[in-house]
Amino acid sequence: MFIENLYNIHNTCYVNILELTGKKVRTSIYSLLYALGFFYNVLKAIGGFFKKRQVGYKVLVMQILFTGFEALIINVVMAIAIGAAVIIIGTGFLPQFGQTKLMYQILILIITRELGPLLTAFVVTARSGTAIATELGTMVVNNEIEAYIASGINPISYLAVPRLIGVTVSMLVLTIYFNIFGLLGSFTVVQLFKAIPIREYLSNLMQVLQLKDIFLGMLKALIFGMIIAVMSMFQGFSVNRASTEIPVAGIKAVGSCIVLIVIADVFVTVIQYVG
Amino acid sequence: MKFKIKFADQIVGLFIILSLVFLGVIVILLGVNQRWFAKNYYFKTVFTSAGNIAEGTPILMKGFQVGKISKIRLNETNTVDVDFYIYDTYYEKVKEYSLLELSVSPIGLGTQLLFLPGKGDKLLEEGSFIYLSDTPEGQAYIEQGLVDVPIKDDTITRLLSNINPLLENVNKTVITVNRTLTEINRALAGQSTGPLGNIVNDIQNTTHQFPEMMDNVNGVIADVQSRTSQLIDQVNTLVASLNVITGNFEATSEALRDPTGLIPKLLGDKNNTLLTRINSITAEIEKSVKNLQYIISSLNAEVPKIATVLNETRIAIQKAQDVLEGIKNNPLIKGGIPERQEQQSLYQSMREGNIE
Repeated sequence: MFIENLYNIHNTCYVNILELTGKKVRTSIYSLLYALGFFYNVLKAIGGFFKKRQVGYKVLVMQILFTGFEALIINVVMAIAIGAAVIIIGTGFLPQFGQTKLMYQILILIITRELGPLLTAFVVTARSGTAIATELGTMVVNNEIEAYIASGINPISYLAVPRLIGVTVSMLVLTIYFNIFGLLGSFTVVQLFKAIPIREYLSNLMQVLQLKDIFLGMLKALIFGMIIAVMSMFQGFSVNRASTEIPVAGIKAVGSCIVLIVIADVFVTVIQYVG
Repeated sequence: MKFKIKFADQIVGLFIILSLVFLGVIVILLGVNQRWFAKNYYFKTVFTSAGNIAEGTPILMKGFQVGKISKIRLNETNTVDVDFYIYDTYYEKVKEYSLLELSVSPIGLGTQLLFLPGKGDKLLEEGSFIYLSDTPEGQAYIEQGLVDVPIKDDTITRLLSNINPLLENVNKTVITVNRTLTEINRALAGQSTGPLGNIVNDIQNTTHQFPEMMDNVNGVIADVQSRTSQLIDQVNTLVASLNVITGNFEATSEALRDPTGLIPKLLGDKNNTLLTRINSITAEIEKSVKNLQYIISSLNAEVPKIATVLNETRIAIQKAQDVLEGIKNNPLIKGGIPERQEQQSLYQSMREGNIE
């Protein structure tokens, strides 16, 4: 009798695990498809946004101001610090092997191709991703979305599209500033420790820097910006009723954004080297 | 109202425009530094391997970058076709007999592709073929002093550039010695069919025959020894005889040297008898010679007559021969003369064994 109970419990647990796993997978797939559908609707609404610019123009400007301009200081400090570190390490380490010029390639690899877009994306995720998810979640909880719909305003056009465009443009612009300050601003800092002629530095840098490097950095920034905007808005719109869901949405937005950004980064890098 | 909110449009506009300006400046700087709009002059060359080159490898001349490799590909003959270009600012350096040199760092610090300008008068046309310095053509140009070959930058490379020809010679010598040793080894092993192998085979055969030859030589030497001893005896005897003859000859010479020697002794008796007789004989001989001269002169005078007689005699004999031939051929008397029977001698028949 005891063994039979244990067997039943075992079977019940086994069935529950299978059921839970299946449910989780089904929910994830459903969420992914829902997110893709949401992304599709947002992209579809972008064309309409540029036709009726006055509707969400102010939202777009405010989004760029908040996501881009206000994050500029953090971005610039990071860029200068990382660039200066690379130059100091490079000028102290690489000449021992007679490979001083390799410093410029490393600098471009780190600043322009990899860390520039990636760190900028992390900063934007941390600042704007959580803000967008929280803001939209709060609007859902306060039934503001229903109010927009009731007023005949499409929440996708008015809320989602300006945020998508704003975050993406901010990412692109911040990446450009990261490159500028990472490559040139760091040089200014390095002059305090070790003087390098500006002409020599710029000439060597421009000999190594390729248009492809800039293009790939910008491509990554574009993809990361779209991921941050879509995932943050998706998590914000996913809030149902309770205000306790709002911070959870923020946390989920940050987590999913970081995971997807890293995956996208690897994907673009692999395509770049394989292609 | 907060400043940022009040001037949000301007701030965002400035924020975006400034970034675009920066981006534009960087792209322009890139274009200027990487010569996007400058004309390049393309040339061709061939490498044996693409191991130390790649597309984009800079071409240097005295430390300045004067061009780049634009394209490399493996061709049908398993060598590497290389297209490269020279910047328009350095095109005037690309004259006849220009070469390329792939300089590999001796301590593993990468490679440099160097451009060695030629000393010709004409500029090479775009698309021309430029030889590498290590090809036979390149070596010929350098040996003839047609190329401006710069001094190597670092001591190690300079030393190595001097050592390299020596090493090549040493290498060739070692290879030759190695081949020779191999040939000798093969010859000694009996595997070679060349002249050395034949010599070695002959030596081997000779060596095998050597003991037998030594035996023969020993026999010959023993024989020679015995004969030599006999010869020595005979020579001793001869020497003794020669000593005697020499003694006699000496005595004769002494006798001849004496003014009262042999001939005066022979001729000079007190009455000069022998001399008188010799004089009389000489006079007789002189008379005989004079007579003989007379006879000969007489004969010489008769020679034409004798020649005429002989000629007439010869004609008479010919006529007699013709008469006899006519008589012989006359049918009236043909067969009138019986044939002479030759009598064979008995002695001869018996000697020839005809008697049964």
